[in-house]
Amino acid sequence: MKSTRSKTRRLSLLTMLLAMSILLHMMEPSLPIPIPGVKLGLANIIGLITLYLFGIEEMFTVNIMRVLIASLLRGIIFGTGFWLSLAGVLLSSTMVIILRRYTKMSIIGLSVASATFHCLGQIAVICYLNSTWLMVYWLPIMWFTAVPTGILTGTLAFQVLKRLTKGVAL
Amino acid sequence: MNQSDKIFIALVLVCALVLYGTMQWFVSSSTTGKTEAVVTYKDKEVLRIDMTKNASYTVTGTLGDVIIEVKDAQIRVEKETSPYHLCSVQGWVKYANVPIVCLPNHIVILIHSVSVDPNQEDTTVK
Repeated sequence: MKSTRSKTRRLSLLTMLLAMSILLHMMEPSLPIPIPGVKLGLANIIGLITLYLFGIEEMFTVNIMRVLIASLLRGIIFGTGFWLSLAGVLLSSTMVIILRRYTKMSIIGLSVASATFHCLGQIAVICYLNSTWLMVYWLPIMWFTAVPTGILTGTLAFQVLKRLTKGVAL
Repeated sequence: MNQSDKIFIALVLVCALVLYGTMQWFVSSSTTGKTEAVVTYKDKEVLRIDMTKNASYTVTGTLGDVIIEVKDAQIRVEKETSPYHLCSVQGWVKYANVPIVCLPNHIVILIHSVSVDPNQEDTTVK
């Protein structure tokens, strides 16, 4: 009985995290950012929270499901934007897991790493789709913005986790 | 933020700086003499623009027409149909090999330096 309750509770929490990540993913383009093409990566907060609360498998599930459902809702599934998001999420999630296992980086460092590798994944897909490596021109500019946005999202994720693990919500 | 985080952030910033410097050197050194812009749609060349003539051109992308403007040897996307209008926000580009990418329209604009054959005769006097 307890096991069933625990499974239901886990599933409910993961579903809520997924819903929140989709919401952040969908609303992010409407936020006014002065630099064109730059996003805060707010949905990354939920990915990191999922990693710390549940684990690797759950983070991958939430991140991939978020890209799939958000693309479906926006009507861009299997379009260019979808492949960009998917490549970014797959590379950033993999690198976050590797860095978490083999380094002593905190959630803020992991968030910066996630933002950095997300940009790398996206540029790789743009280079592949346009059959030219010259799109690398935008990579350093994206990396310069990935550091402050990564620190911001990492700090937010840290603050949320601090409150959650104090027993306020969990 | 711990020591590992700071090392990683420093590494990213150094990589970005080196890459930025390399790309800036590459684009400025490859922009020599006469230039022309090549417009491609889904990897196929659809238009070649002489950068010395001030004019407007229209090409058809996936979501609609893309209006390209050339002025004072610089090029920009003046108007297009896309969700965030990133390629028109990018503004003027004058260096070779700096791509203007309109991903939703599958349009890429790239300036090339036109290589002039030094052995080519300008005029022939008989």
